[in-house]
Amino acid sequence: MLKQCRAVLERELFYMWRDKSLRHILLIGPLLGLLLFAGVYSYQRIGNIPTGIVDLDNSSASRQVVEELKNSQNLQVAAYFDSFAQLKESIKRGEVIVGVVIPDNFGKNVALHRQTRVAVVIDGMNMAYATNASSAILTVTRTFGAQVGIQTLIAQGIQANQAQEAYQSIAFPEEAWFNPTLNYAYFTVLGFALNVWQQCLTLAACMTIIGENGLRSWLQIKTSGISSAVLFFCKSLVHIAVFMLIVFPLYYLAFVVFKLPLACGWLNLLSFTLIFIIALHSLGTMMSSISRNAVDASRYGMIIALPAFVISGYTWPLEAMPQWVQHAAWFLPQTWFFQGLNYLTFKNPGWGFMSHYYLALGLMAVLFYSVAALRLMVENFLPKGGLM
Amino acid sequence: MKQILNIAYYEMMHILKERVLFLMIFFVPLLYASLFGLVYVSGILQHVPLGIVDLDHSKESRDVVSAFENTPDFKVIPEVTTYAALEKGMKTGLIRAGVVIPEDYSQKLSQHQLTQILTIYDGSNLIYGFNTRKYFQQVLNTFSADHTAAYLSGLGMTKHEITNVMDTVSYSMEIWYNPTLSYATFIYMGLALMIFQQIGLLGIGLTATREKERNTWIQFLSAAVSPWKIFLGKALPYYIANFFNYGLVMWVAVRFVNVKIEGSVALIVLLGLLFDIIVVSAGFVVSVYVPNSLLVTRYLMLISVPIFVSSGYSWPSTHIPKIINELVRLMPYTWMAEGFRLLTVKNLGFSYLVDKIIVLIVMAAISLFFALTFSKRRKPPAQTGLAVNGSISYPDKSCLRL
Amino acid sequence: MEPVIKVNNLVQKIGRKPLLQGITFEVMAGECLGIFGTRGAGKTSLIHILAGVDRFSSGQITIYGHNIRKTEKFKRDIGLVTQANSLFRDMTVVENLDFIAALKKAPKANVLEMIERFNLKEFLSKPAAALDIGALQRLSLACAMLNRPKLLLVDEIMKDIDLPSRNLILSELEQFSAGGGTCVSAISTLTICDYIDKVAWLEGGTITLYDLQEAQAEWDRQEKYYAEQSGRCHA
Repeated sequence: MLKQCRAVLERELFYMWRDKSLRHILLIGPLLGLLLFAGVYSYQRIGNIPTGIVDLDNSSASRQVVEELKNSQNLQVAAYFDSFAQLKESIKRGEVIVGVVIPDNFGKNVALHRQTRVAVVIDGMNMAYATNASSAILTVTRTFGAQVGIQTLIAQGIQANQAQEAYQSIAFPEEAWFNPTLNYAYFTVLGFALNVWQQCLTLAACMTIIGENGLRSWLQIKTSGISSAVLFFCKSLVHIAVFMLIVFPLYYLAFVVFKLPLACGWLNLLSFTLIFIIALHSLGTMMSSISRNAVDASRYGMIIALPAFVISGYTWPLEAMPQWVQHAAWFLPQTWFFQGLNYLTFKNPGWGFMSHYYLALGLMAVLFYSVAALRLMVENFLPKGGLM
Repeated sequence: MKQILNIAYYEMMHILKERVLFLMIFFVPLLYASLFGLVYVSGILQHVPLGIVDLDHSKESRDVVSAFENTPDFKVIPEVTTYAALEKGMKTGLIRAGVVIPEDYSQKLSQHQLTQILTIYDGSNLIYGFNTRKYFQQVLNTFSADHTAAYLSGLGMTKHEITNVMDTVSYSMEIWYNPTLSYATFIYMGLALMIFQQIGLLGIGLTATREKERNTWIQFLSAAVSPWKIFLGKALPYYIANFFNYGLVMWVAVRFVNVKIEGSVALIVLLGLLFDIIVVSAGFVVSVYVPNSLLVTRYLMLISVPIFVSSGYSWPSTHIPKIINELVRLMPYTWMAEGFRLLTVKNLGFSYLVDKIIVLIVMAAISLFFALTFSKRRKPPAQTGLAVNGSISYPDKSCLRL
Repeated sequence: MEPVIKVNNLVQKIGRKPLLQGITFEVMAGECLGIFGTRGAGKTSLIHILAGVDRFSSGQITIYGHNIRKTEKFKRDIGLVTQANSLFRDMTVVENLDFIAALKKAPKANVLEMIERFNLKEFLSKPAAALDIGALQRLSLACAMLNRPKLLLVDEIMKDIDLPSRNLILSELEQFSAGGGTCVSAISTLTICDYIDKVAWLEGGTITLYDLQEAQAEWDRQEKYYAEQSGRCHA
């Protein structure tokens, strides 16, 4: 029995290694993904949003507005235009994202306390820009509005301390928890890299059963008398171990080299990863058991693995999806993993919270493996071609 | 011409017969389009769960609370009343944002001392983070304006006077092209075009490998039929099916997901036709030179995420290092997605898209060239020794029945 | 008279392993050359090279005066029957004929004629995958003949097939030769090959040319030699 196991384990390792494309995919794919994404998000923040200014007034008051914009954290004054038409053109071409138009006589009107209006235009095409730009603009307008208001009040003969109080008696400090600098790389790099990783694993897991019973050597195995349970248990063991090994360099790069946040500690993360690997492997194995050949198995597996990340709510939140989609999403192991990953790496909510995640992934593994086993048994007992 | 149509006819028959392939081509795009549609259908992130810790319990502090209660952007979760509960709620995802009003809030206000309202948001998901921050700014701008107005009226100023003072400088903020900042308009078609590309590649990507696996590729190679005819015949059904899917996905996008798609129909069609040419001919070339279907499937599946992420469609390319930008400029998707978005979201005319269209034409010409002139001499099938799944066969149960 | 096939110093390597090491031969019009060798000797490779399916490492091959590396034109005049079946298994017999006729730009009349000649009428609507080997080889040959080739390349066509099919195919091949057709046939036994004029014995990557009787005598000689060597037979 043990000898049989060892033989199967060794053979499975060789089998995986000699499958050149699978070897490349498993060894290189996730790492390459991580490096690429780390590169893509290496700027980490959406700062320096290119801003164009149309200053039709050119007074000291209007320059004060410009100054205020320049001081703003995320905006970068990139161009000055002579007319609104030019600004519009530049926004169309995507050269500037934010446009600010200061009307003529702005300074004069402010001085005379006549009403005047500054127009701000934001290119809403790219949300990463647009939300950040609107926040920045809203902050600038509040501070600048207060400054002008105070001046106006003082000019109207109201005492300076009262004027100030009218505008600035409440401060609004803000805190971004778990990711205080709003670092986009913290949010996305690991998620995207693990998305590629889980796709690679799915491709490998989809070979578990079809990689045996789709080969002529299956006849040898069937006549040899080794039980299917032992055979596939040993194979799965190798797969799971290999999958786990692949994640180590990935995590090392992510948390040690790129210093992504890891709130929960290594042990938590690794044990959670392990339970997910088992669940994912069981899903691949199930796909493998119902397929006629390896291509179909890969297709079935990937039909789930490709959109799983989007559905998991790691980026666009689950809570914003329709109710029943949310419920459906929780049927995928990937949803549990990516949600759990977000909680673990940023928040570490504790065992009481995470135990549900372990339980769900564990149950899925049991379910999917059972289906695979059932399918295999049915196939063995039915006459050939009976199910095709 | 008759030869081409004949090849196309039999390719079509094959698609109809191979169930999985048929589903891949005619069902999976719709499936994915609907799936992603459901994910993004709400478009705007509203009702962000918010915990308010009111340590003051005064009339003034309740004003703050009601300011947050009166906006659809937030949903106040009443269970959270203490700072500890807020901390826990943030950790377990019960709430995604918090407001803390200090216990001396009303007292300080009445004593004309500076006080503060602390706002907290969850940065672990920046879609939440960025939006929540913006919502906070909006609520607080209104709230502080109201506060100022109330203060001034307390000084005995009339309503008219107050408006005059406060509106000396007013700001109008307009968001162009996507005024509601709908996430669906932003991301959906980018994903849909990625689906289009992937399903397109995977459909035609197996057309030659399949023939190789069944040895029938020899019939094509040994007949005196030119490579361009083989390509055109085999590509035709896929080309038409892809274009159909292009329209279908857009229909789903507009009809059900409320994605904004404007712009000239002629240009939308032109972009689609060009991108379709690239996808079909690139997929065919892959199919001719890769030994088996399993490899095609494996490799093609994995390219989607990296291309999408680095294309500059979501994270802007101005914030991506140059070298990666240069690399993704070699990908047709980058140009197509950007061109499509400029056209449909910004509603720009031909003159703004001309560079994208030219690049797509060049890419189409190059890929077409390789597809039309593929070599009809194959590399002799090798004995692969110990390698697995690298040659023309892969695990398939039907081999046991031979 | 110009030979139909001229092979000069043909070398084929698969990976780094040499398979054909400088083969030179000619086939004249109306001749039928049998390529004889054991499994793995390179018969199929040679046929595939002649058919313009496989690339080859070096050497010169001209068929009907065309350098086959450079053009597709010679393919109009050849018919190929492969050893591993290369018909469309998911299509019916008539669809196979129709489609391959389309690939070869052969007229409909030829399809009808082939159905008649190879006695395929009863199978027409059967899938090619369901045919037994005899009918399958008849269909293969029928497909190869659709374009009325002047040169026929056949690979192990007689192997394992039933007697009626064998006779039908043999008589077709003989008729083809009688009509002036040229033929190259890969064979692994020297029986049932009366239609062959010359034998190219392929071994160790090189060929030796015999006529049929010589080849058969050589085979007998070797058979005897090895039997004696092994001590199995002292006769």
